[in-house]
Order: sequence, then C-alpha cells, then structure tokens
Amino acid sequence: MKKWIGILLTCAMVLAVLAGCSGNNGGNGGGGAASPSSGDQSNSGGGGVVELTFWGDWGGEGQKQFETMVDAFNKSQDKIRVKYVLQQDMITKFLTAATSGGSPDVMFWDRWRTNLYAPKNVLHPIDDYMARDGISTADYYDEALKELSHDGKLYGLPLTVDARALFYNKKMFADAGLQPPTNWEELATAAKALTKWNGDKLEVAGFSLGDAGLFNMYNQQAGGQMLNASNDATDFNNDKGLSVLNLWDRLLNQDKVYKIGFEQGLGEGTDAFVTGKLAMNYTGPWMLSTYKKYGQDLDFGIVPPPAGPNGDKGSVMGGFGLVIGEGSKHKEEAWEFVKWWLANKDNVLLWAKTSLNIPGYKPALDDPFFKDDPSWQPFLDTLEFAKIRPQHPGYSIMEGDGLVPNLQLFLEGKQDAATTLKKAQEQGDRLLKDNADVK
Amino acid sequence: MIRSRKLHAHQARMAYLFISPAILLFSVFTVVPVFMAFYLSFTNYDVLSRMDWVGLSNYRKLYTDTLLWQTFRNVLFYTVIFVPLNILTSLLIALLLNKAIRGVKVFRTLNYLPTLTSAVAAATVWLWVLHPEFGLLNGFLSYFGVTGPAWLSETRTAMASVIMVTLWQAVGSNMVIYLAGLQGVPDYLYESAKLDGANAVQRFRYITWPQLRPTTFLVSTMSIIGALQLFDQAFVLTQGGPANATKTPVYLIYQQGFNQLQMGYASAQAFVLALAILIFSLINMRLSKAEEPIV
Repeated sequence: MKKWIGILLTCAMVLAVLAGCSGNNGGNGGGGAASPSSGDQSNSGGGGVVELTFWGDWGGEGQKQFETMVDAFNKSQDKIRVKYVLQQDMITKFLTAATSGGSPDVMFWDRWRTNLYAPKNVLHPIDDYMARDGISTADYYDEALKELSHDGKLYGLPLTVDARALFYNKKMFADAGLQPPTNWEELATAAKALTKWNGDKLEVAGFSLGDAGLFNMYNQQAGGQMLNASNDATDFNNDKGLSVLNLWDRLLNQDKVYKIGFEQGLGEGTDAFVTGKLAMNYTGPWMLSTYKKYGQDLDFGIVPPPAGPNGDKGSVMGGFGLVIGEGSKHKEEAWEFVKWWLANKDNVLLWAKTSLNIPGYKPALDDPFFKDDPSWQPFLDTLEFAKIRPQHPGYSIMEGDGLVPNLQLFLEGKQDAATTLKKAQEQGDRLLKDNADVK
Repeated sequence: MIRSRKLHAHQARMAYLFISPAILLFSVFTVVPVFMAFYLSFTNYDVLSRMDWVGLSNYRKLYTDTLLWQTFRNVLFYTVIFVPLNILTSLLIALLLNKAIRGVKVFRTLNYLPTLTSAVAAATVWLWVLHPEFGLLNGFLSYFGVTGPAWLSETRTAMASVIMVTLWQAVGSNMVIYLAGLQGVPDYLYESAKLDGANAVQRFRYITWPQLRPTTFLVSTMSIIGALQLFDQAFVLTQGGPANATKTPVYLIYQQGFNQLQMGYASAQAFVLALAILIFSLINMRLSKAEEPIV
C-alpha cells in the first residue's frame, strides 16, 4: 500500500516538474519569437502592415479556393496581409465575436441573412466606399445587391450567384425521341414518358419531386409571389398556388413519375441522376462538378426552368457575398480587399475559374470561360429572370416550418390542396408575424 | 470524544477541499447559466443588440405556439415507446451475455460497438439501410413479397424509424450498466432460492429484478432525459420532416435562438423543456418507489 502511494507521489511530482518546465519554455519561446517578428513586419511594411482576418465556413476544396484568392491579394501589395480563418460554426461564433471585440474584418456571407443581421448594427454599410471609389452598382446582379441591402443601405458585394435550372439526361431523351421541355405541359409529358416501373418498384423516375422546398420557384412560374406587396403576409393561397399543387398531384399521383423518399440518403457517387435512375432534376451550378466527376457515362444537358401555364418564368436566386464587420478595426483595409476581389474583372475571373462559381460581377461573364462552355449559358439565362427570396427575417422559418410540412402532407396524400394552402397560409402568417421584429 | 470531533472536522474540511474544484466548475458552467437563462426568458435578448425586460410576453407566446406543442407531442411519443423498449432490450441482452460461456466477450463487444460510432455517422449509414428502393431493409422485406414503405419519408413510419436507429445505438451502453448490476447480485440469493424450489422465472422476478432496481432507475432516468432532448439522429435522418413529424423541442430552441436570434424566447422554450424533463423524472421516481423493497 505504502509503496503504491510512494510511486503515485513520485509520478505526480515528475509530472508537475515537467509541466512547470514546459510552461516556462513555452512562455519564453513565445515571448522571444513574438518581439523580433513584429519588429520585422513594421520594418518591411514601412508604415506597418495591417493584418486582416477573413472568416468563412468553407473547408476542404472551398478553403483552398479562398486561400488562392487571399494569397493573390497578399502578393499584389505589401500594406495589407489577409488571413483566412475557417470557422466551422461561423454564424454562432460571429454572434459572440461581433460585440466583444473579436469581430472578423471580412466575412463570407450567406446573403439571405442580411435582413436579420443588418438592423442589429453588426455589419458595416459600404455605400460611401462605393461612391468614393466610383464602383457602379450596375455591374452587379440587381437582385443580389437587393439581398445585401437593408433600409436603403448596401452591406456587401455579391461573391457568387446561383439559381436552379433543369438538368436532363440527354441519352434518355434521345431514346424516347423527346425534346427538353419548355413549359409545364411538356415537362409532364416528358416525365411520364421517361418513367419506368417494374411492378411496384420504381426503376427510373421521370422527374424529381423530392424537394417540396422548391415551391417558391414553381409559384413564380405560375405567376404568383410568396409574400404580398407590403411584405408582411403570405400570398400563395390562391389559384396560382393551387395550380402548382395540381401539377405536383398530376406528376406524383396520376402519372406516377416519382416516389416519395426515392432520393433520400443517396450520396454524391450514388446520386440518382448520376446513376441514371432519374431523368430530370431541378438543381444548381453547384452540382456541375459532382455530375462531371461521377458521371463518366452520364450525358446531360441543362435548360432554364420550363415556363408555367401563362408563360411566366421563375427560379430562385441565391448565393454568397462578402461583408465587413462593424466591429472591425480596419474597415478601410477590409474594403480594399473586398474591392480587389469583387470589383476587378481579372480577379473576379480568377475566383470564378478557381471555384467554378458564377460571380455576381457581370463584366466577368463576357469572358470566353463562360461564353464558350454550354453548361454555363442556361444558368446565365435563368439568372436574368431569377428572383431572390422575399426579404423578411421570418421568411425561411415560414417556409421551413409552416409551408413545407403542409406540402409534404399533401404529397403524401394526407391533405387535399385547398386545406394545404389554407393551413400553410395560417401557420405561415403566424410565423412571419412572430419573427418580424428584429430591431 | 474531543479527538474524534476534531478528526471529523478535519475530514469534513478535506472533503470540501477535494470537491471544491468540481463544485466550482459546476456552478460556473451550469448553475450560473441556468439562472441567467431564466432571467433572459423574461427579456427580448438577441445576443447582439438588445436585452429589454418584456415580462411574461415570451411565456404568453408559448401558449399559442402550436409548432412547439407538436414537437413536444413528438418527443413524448418517442419517450413513451423508446424508454421501455430500451430497458427491455438492454436487460435481455445483458441477461444473455451474463453467462460464463466461451466467446461471450466477443458478443459483449459487438453489442457495445454501435455506442462507439458517432451518432451522425451511424445515422448516415441507416439512411442507406432504410432507403425505400435500394435499402437493405426493404430488400429483405421484398423476399417475402412485402413492399416496404419509404421509412423516413412517410409520416406514419418516420418516428418509428428514428426510434429503431436510436435504440440500436443506445442499447450497448445500457447493456454494460446492466451487466455491472447483474454481477453485483450475490450468488447466495440464487442458491437459497434454488434450494427453496424457485424456478428461473421466479428467480428473475423475485431476486434479479428487485436487486437491479437502482440500475433500472439509473438507466430509465438517463434515457428519459436523453429521449426528451432528442436532436442529432432525428436531424440527420429526417431534418425534422416529413410534415414536422420528427421535429423536436431542442431543434426548435436552437433554431429560435441561433438562426432567428430570438434568444429570450428560446430560453422560455428551454424552460418548458426542463420542466417536462423534471416531471417525467419525478414520475419515474414514483414508479420505481412503488416496487417492493430490495431483499
């Protein structure tokens, strides 16, 4: 027993001594290393180099793409050093950092969040910089700028723009002697012709109805809008919303071109469209690289979304921007970085080619990189009429918790169209009201 | 007498000294935040710009929040099915694996393995198993001519699927706790019961089960708390769908607080959840007290 205690005590002492030593070493080493290096920097930079932090939540490939841009910027001048910091849970981190002095200087920003965060004074408006440096807003997609604005002030510049278009399997269309659809009627006809059942097993789905969250897009095609003109209540419980549900009902229950849950849980390499189990699918430019990577035998084409019964076109524009934190101590330098990246054709193109995203800066889209590649043109056409989500701080929650659950009940056949729209309206309006107050 | 009191005082001092780090951490990271959250539930706190007293308005809003009550119905249903099944299966497996037979350790390890995998990774694999057309489960059913449902995409099977997956993952650790409990049951009790002519069922009913009462209490309390706080598996498997059938209060609280920045209201919701957990734990305590005393 005594022996045990002795051994334990010895171990504890050895550990304590080791810890003490390493602690000291660390402290000395750190202090020693820090002072000369900071001296170096102020020497080389003349008036001192400003260090900026740039936050983003893209890791892996995305992180490399950001770092390519950051390195190019750092090489282009010697006054500002930008460092990309990967924040997996960026928004949560930003919540605590924004008001406690740890705010990032520049941040990768999911644009739809602007109307929730801008009223809380944690983002810095850039209108003055734009006017001073003569940056024209006409060079950017209007809708994307709108999404980055609040109360007449602009809070950032668009980095990427995207919208969904219709992907179709060219081989299946050729075998069936079909042309890619341009309206709902042709879409339904093609979907029905391309679907293959084996008994009660669905082998090839003609068209994907897996995502009820795309209602907004269909509703635009039907000529409708999600929120009313005063932007405070839903506006889909009408004949336009009804025509969307009728189309879905026809595709799913009468023509049986899809089965609920068909695509759930399928990863990149086993994606139903890649493996030829799905003939048509609404998705965005972000899937291009996946389809090209995994679909060696996949010959696909892309067309803008088919128009609705009255010829209306519609798609939802999304994407990211760069914003400057109100808590940043170097807003001027942060703006320099944003301007270099997003208001210069060469740099925008470098970004587009590195990341394979469509940039929000229009002059860059005239480049052969976009003009000569047939996979981009349908998206550029779609972006001409695509609309952003309504700018209401409760919009996403209205869609996710009020509308989509009711649509899912409808798709499962548990609720008729009229009830679905009525309940979605009631629950949606309440969610909008509950989440309207952000000041 | 005096000496013993002195010794007692010394022991008490040492005891406080030893537990003080734990108590300190517990109060800083648990007790204080609970009180702060309680205060916040009466404000319109949004983390960034405001923290004004709004009185009971958050709690009044709860009353009409139909979605919150639906998520509560979801987890109550989940708890009522999950907790008894959890106790039953883990006890049965523990009883089977409590035998001193060759290779029993291999089986113990195999049964414990699911607990070691991360909830998200396991749920991702289950997504595959439960796929309506290419999944293992429906493939198996089709041998018997049964067309299986789209497990995770239909309102009537989604919660059952979540229960199945979480059960698969939870049984391992509870089995280990039960195994420990079973090994603590003294052999002489079984021996004398056998002499008195008790059969296996009677021995389980009158010796094993009462002796395991503290273990059962621990397992049931922990699984009730875990069940009411269900989040990650349900989120990966179904994202709360279809039609909110598997949405849980924790998901809603997170969404209100961190996505909508309504931290005050989220705190009020969290207190309702805490209250529900308290009530269920009390009921559980009552139920286990109602059993006859330990031999």
